[in-house]
Amino acid sequence: MSAAEHSLKEQLEHWIEHLDHVLPGQAPIRDFVHHNTLHGYQHLPFDQAMAASRDELGIGGYWPLARFRAEFAAGRIDASDLDAVLDLAHPEIDTEIAPGVTRRAIWRAALRFDCAPIDAARLRWELDERAALSRIPDDIAAESRFWRHGTNAGKLTALWQQAQALTPLTLSAEPDQDELWSGLIATLGVRGTLRELILQLSGEDILETVRVDLFRHLAAHLDQGLASWHNPQRNEGFYAAWRRIAVLDPSWALTDQTEARKRISELPDDPVAAIEAELTHLAIPLANWQGYLERLAMQLPGWSGMFLWRHHHPGYSGITVPVAMADYLAVRLVLESVAANTVARRIWGVPATLTALASYFWVHPVELRLRLACHRGELPEALASQVQQMEAPGERAAESRAAWKALAEAAAAVDADPQQHAASASWPVFRLAIVLGLDAPALSELGQSGANALLACAAELDLDCASYLWLQAYEHHYAEKIFAALSANLPRRASMDAPDAQLVLCMDDREEGYRRHIEEANPRLETLGGAAHFAVFQNWRGLGDPGVTPLCPVVPVVIVPSHEINEMPRVGQENAAAAWQQRLEKGRVARDRRLQQTRFGLLSAFVQSFLRAPGAFGDLLLRAFAPQRWGQHAQRDPVPPTLINPTAVAEHSARPATPEDPRPGFTDDEQGERIGNFLTSLGLTRNFAPLVVIMGHGSNSQNNPHLAAYDCGACSGRHSGPNARLFATMANRPAVRERLARRGIHVPEQTHFLAGEHNTADDIVTWYDAEDVPLMHAAAFASLQNDCRTASATHAVERCRRLMSAPLGMSPKSAWHHVIGRRNDFAQPRPELGHVTNACAFFGRRSMSRGAYFDRRAFLISYDPLRDADGAVLTRHLTINGPVGAGINLEYYFSTVSNERFGCGTKAMHNVVGGLGVMAGASSDLRTGLPRQMIEIHEPMRLLVVVEQTTEILTRVYQAQPAVQELVGNGWVLLAAVDPEPDPSRPLIQRFDPARGWLPWTPPAESSLREFERSVDWFGGKREPLPPVLLKRPLECAA
Amino acid sequence: MSVVFEMSAFAILLPLLGAALIGGRMLSGAGRGDAAEPWTVRWAMLQAWLALLVLVAVAVAAIMEGTPGRIEFARWIESGPVALPLSVLIDAKSLIFALIVQVVGVVVLRFSRTYLHREGAFHRFYFGLCLFLAGMQLIVLAGDAALTFVGWELAGFSSWLLIGYDTERANATQNALYAFVTNRIGDAGFILGLALAFLWIGNTAWPSLVDTGLDRVSARLLLFGFVVAAIAKSAQLPLSGWLARALEGPTPSSAIFYGAIMVHAGVWMLIRLEPVLRLVQDIMIQVALFGLVTALYGWFAGLTQSDVKSSLVFATTTQVGLMFFACGLGFFDFAFVHLCLHALLRAAQFLLAPSYMHLLSQPAPEPPAWLKSRSWWYGAALSRFWIEPLAQTLVIAPAQAVARDVRAADEAVLMPLLASSVEGEVPGAGGRVLAWAADWCDSVEQRLTQIASSGRPAQLMRQAGEYFLELEALLERPRYLLILVAATFMVIL
Repeated sequence: MSAAEHSLKEQLEHWIEHLDHVLPGQAPIRDFVHHNTLHGYQHLPFDQAMAASRDELGIGGYWPLARFRAEFAAGRIDASDLDAVLDLAHPEIDTEIAPGVTRRAIWRAALRFDCAPIDAARLRWELDERAALSRIPDDIAAESRFWRHGTNAGKLTALWQQAQALTPLTLSAEPDQDELWSGLIATLGVRGTLRELILQLSGEDILETVRVDLFRHLAAHLDQGLASWHNPQRNEGFYAAWRRIAVLDPSWALTDQTEARKRISELPDDPVAAIEAELTHLAIPLANWQGYLERLAMQLPGWSGMFLWRHHHPGYSGITVPVAMADYLAVRLVLESVAANTVARRIWGVPATLTALASYFWVHPVELRLRLACHRGELPEALASQVQQMEAPGERAAESRAAWKALAEAAAAVDADPQQHAASASWPVFRLAIVLGLDAPALSELGQSGANALLACAAELDLDCASYLWLQAYEHHYAEKIFAALSANLPRRASMDAPDAQLVLCMDDREEGYRRHIEEANPRLETLGGAAHFAVFQNWRGLGDPGVTPLCPVVPVVIVPSHEINEMPRVGQENAAAAWQQRLEKGRVARDRRLQQTRFGLLSAFVQSFLRAPGAFGDLLLRAFAPQRWGQHAQRDPVPPTLINPTAVAEHSARPATPEDPRPGFTDDEQGERIGNFLTSLGLTRNFAPLVVIMGHGSNSQNNPHLAAYDCGACSGRHSGPNARLFATMANRPAVRERLARRGIHVPEQTHFLAGEHNTADDIVTWYDAEDVPLMHAAAFASLQNDCRTASATHAVERCRRLMSAPLGMSPKSAWHHVIGRRNDFAQPRPELGHVTNACAFFGRRSMSRGAYFDRRAFLISYDPLRDADGAVLTRHLTINGPVGAGINLEYYFSTVSNERFGCGTKAMHNVVGGLGVMAGASSDLRTGLPRQMIEIHEPMRLLVVVEQTTEILTRVYQAQPAVQELVGNGWVLLAAVDPEPDPSRPLIQRFDPARGWLPWTPPAESSLREFERSVDWFGGKREPLPPVLLKRPLECAA
Repeated sequence: MSVVFEMSAFAILLPLLGAALIGGRMLSGAGRGDAAEPWTVRWAMLQAWLALLVLVAVAVAAIMEGTPGRIEFARWIESGPVALPLSVLIDAKSLIFALIVQVVGVVVLRFSRTYLHREGAFHRFYFGLCLFLAGMQLIVLAGDAALTFVGWELAGFSSWLLIGYDTERANATQNALYAFVTNRIGDAGFILGLALAFLWIGNTAWPSLVDTGLDRVSARLLLFGFVVAAIAKSAQLPLSGWLARALEGPTPSSAIFYGAIMVHAGVWMLIRLEPVLRLVQDIMIQVALFGLVTALYGWFAGLTQSDVKSSLVFATTTQVGLMFFACGLGFFDFAFVHLCLHALLRAAQFLLAPSYMHLLSQPAPEPPAWLKSRSWWYGAALSRFWIEPLAQTLVIAPAQAVARDVRAADEAVLMPLLASSVEGEVPGAGGRVLAWAADWCDSVEQRLTQIASSGRPAQLMRQAGEYFLELEALLERPRYLLILVAATFMVIL
């Protein structure tokens, strides 16, 4: 291998690393974990990242302006929010741009109303159909002072004439032929690849011609067990496997591409060498190679991203097939160049290399200009269709040179059209003047320079700037309500002296609702929130599981558990358990047979379809018409009583536990350390109730490829019940209590830890090891179960208000029934709504938020600010739990603002491919992100993190932690501090601005937070998102 | 009891009514958005349940009294010797199949209510599904082949509508068009069969069609048309390409069209033609061959599919191929049982397609050892035996070339003669003649409508109508010639 090749190999590795920044990082869908969709841009400030995304990925990171304007009309953003945002948006916001007109006024006008340039056709429509010269649209009229001296028919016409007079026509020079071509070439590897070049020149998308075949090969290579027959060369890598088939493929001859087969067979065997050969053949300058490969990968973000993910995770899920990104890029390059060659040869009679194309267009300059104008959409429709006719196969270029010339003259005439100019230059001035209330004389006073200044100032707000201001205003509106609620709740704070029980739930925003309903069901219960891995990372093997499941977080860093826990039958249950496992296995085999043998094979499938049809159809009828009955049927055989043993036996305790060699069970010291750490992070180190419930969560639903997206994020998209169970079992052990006492955490002897799992889909709580609850707590446990049942039912009512197909005003019983039905309904694409509407996160004592209604929008993380003088606990929270919340929030944000590009569209068309993801239909790019059904009612705003801690300690943590700086400093999450020991001399709440530091929050003049007895009194009968209110019931314990 | 049998027409009319109501509400603007969903669903479900009830009643009556056979309700079109009555043919098979269609239809309608809730095209989907049910029941129950053809077209149209459900994705609309055009080849065969039946038998009633006493040459030509139609609808080779492309629609429509019901319509047609097929052994052999080759094709290609829906659709192709094979060997009853069970199984499997990944605990079984390491065969199976490039080269490209030539001729000769493409320019001489002729026709029409109120003109019109009919018969002669040419080809082949 030569030195040059060697270095290319190294460079390529580096380039592949860099692809992480632009490709989706989603894992195969079974292991779906929420993460920032634009994680690759996280090193940039939010607004710059969005601009970069629009520039590089072609996707804007905001709601469309029209949507923000609709929210304004709906009252979800108001003028004061816009003003508050404008205050900070520009240092010279109140400077006069033209006499009597400030930047604030112009920006406000441009934000509120569309004042952008339009085209000639739209102008004609505005003038003829919408009578723009005789009336002002109602929404503008309501705001503008234009008619303040009375409506007058001629006034608008005069203004229009004035606007035209102030924006005289100037013709831009025609681009030089050389510049046109070199400009085009310069985009290769910067804006696009050969595909975009050919697309602009011919209107033909060469990716379309290779797409279907490529997807088949890709899916077959990455397949995790859906296909039966794989490429015989699959183990030699994707490039080799694909090439073997491509060389044998007779269809090249069918599609007039006989030379392609020869070319492919002559390619070097090494994919890196093939990449080099292809790029050299194309004559792409070396400096642009990285960009070129990046652009190539970005054309199919879904498949490229999945390939890259597997490239980074060799051996994933026990699959030995090699997946190397270089293979993929080589195949893509070869296919692209083959397809481009075919097009270029057919249309221009030259190969698709830059030199050949350049020399062709050197001789045909007019054709080049027209083709580009046509395919960039710059030609009016009539001319464009003529160009397309010229391009039709069969037209010989040599004959049509005169025709190109004639078309060029027609196009030149269009460029100089005064109507077009009026639309693009005079219209914005006209609109701005109306909104600003300037009539013709006032506009003429400004003069041409004034009009230009007006336009320039409005143009400062490009799409991204305007969207960012809107987003901030939207967030400001909601944040004001949150701050108002927190400050109004302050005087109502009460500490709980002797709660009946303490329940530790996940920090998940869905549990905000459940906790609130638990507290309403019984105000003598205390609830806490933490990450539901409960700091006991494990490889879990449930009874009858064929393998272990890692239950631990993978965000912000991937953790691989070093301990293994097995579920075992209880003493005396061994036989029942063995029989149960046998039944389970038998069912599994039968199901596999039904699903697999009816798909593959000729005669076996034939026989199977006779045998299996009645059963399968019976199952279908039951599922369709009685989902609940089906659910009961499916769960008719529950696991027999089991237990877990968290403690490693002596022989295992001696050696260190590592991810490669996980230890069965934890040592006593490990247990004490983990339990102690978690209790400390919660702030639960004293005042223990007789019963402490550790409650994980999970979600069950039918027919749902995105199952993992609804599960516990802290356990990497799995149920976190087993972790809760492990925690409780450990915490009940005397050896652990002893170690806790050594750390100063004295758990009373009679306190019993109890584990459960809250199912967020059907709101049913499953209790673990209930038979171990001491007799003395039996009554308390029974009443706790009862409280949880009450809470489940009332919580279901609250959830149903956001489910459009659930009737409003259901009784708790029927609402609970409804959500249970959803979980079992195989036709239900919305078994629950997941983290939808999540908007804020509170780190602090529950007393800060207890007694207020947050509409299931807040992550609640328990943290005791008074026992954390050095900020060590807070650091852990902000570096571990912060990114988890931010990941969820940003995934929802991006999937909502552009569901087609960042999300994966509607579930209705989804087709599971390879066991690793979904396509829309049978041959689309792999779709990543969240489906439309998960985000329909989401309100995309960045997570507002409210920390109950002094700004001094927060600043210290911020300055010490680069991870926090990246998220907060770059504005991917918003930060605010609540004073833990309120003092009238200090502001209670301060917001953090990365540029300005801490800014005190000023409470609104009149605080009008309403107070209700229970949540249902407020949300009952309402479907829309609700602002916070105060609740009396959860605080009744103090009275 | 015969009233009950006559009620069976409601199995067809009810879904048609459902489609008309939903479509009407969509047009009027009332059937839009989330709020209108319950109404649409209620109507669709109501008609589907009622139709099912009707079919059950008919089945009960049939069990008690025996099947009535063909029932004629009315004459729809009557023109000289050609008559097209509205009729049903109720026998054991058609009743069983109609019941299966209806039950699967009810399940899918019910499934979609939840599954497609809040979809932008919710109402369009229900419109398409009701239309499909009407078409399918027409195919199953119609007593005349010409009526079956109406159902055939309704099903084809609704299939096109729902493949292209996601109108914003170019891929979906392209594939919808592809499936639609492929199915038109089958329609051409169907029309040929119908035309010959009208010509030689005088009607298209299934009983007279299959009991014609036609000689073998005529029967062969007649069957040729119908078998082509069956091959296209059931996606047998060489017209298989469209089925795998048809998966762009929502899961429930894929389930009912391509998994459970419509894909079996071709087999159903063969079963209907059983007696006449038995007359012509060579066509039977060809059907068996087509079926066998398709089954092998579906099997090989199916082994390589890595997405759930494609995998299921190839499994379906295989099994439908086997049904063709069974028909070709003369096991029509057996094929019918296979059809019924297979329809039920696939309906269940397609609707559960989204959960396949979570339901499976083991990777798919390996292919047979002798096949596993054969690269050429693997490439062939992955490319689906190149039927699409083949069609592109052999059919589409030549057709496009002809179209281009015709257009060129159009532009070079006709356009200058008739009109100018530039607005405002004076048209050519031909154009002026045409404009003048149009003006004259217009004035004649005006006068005719003015005097149409009196009795005399009406009589005149009828006379003129008869005159035109004769003229039409004359005009049809070249077509007749064409058919003869085709017939000669068939005999030679």
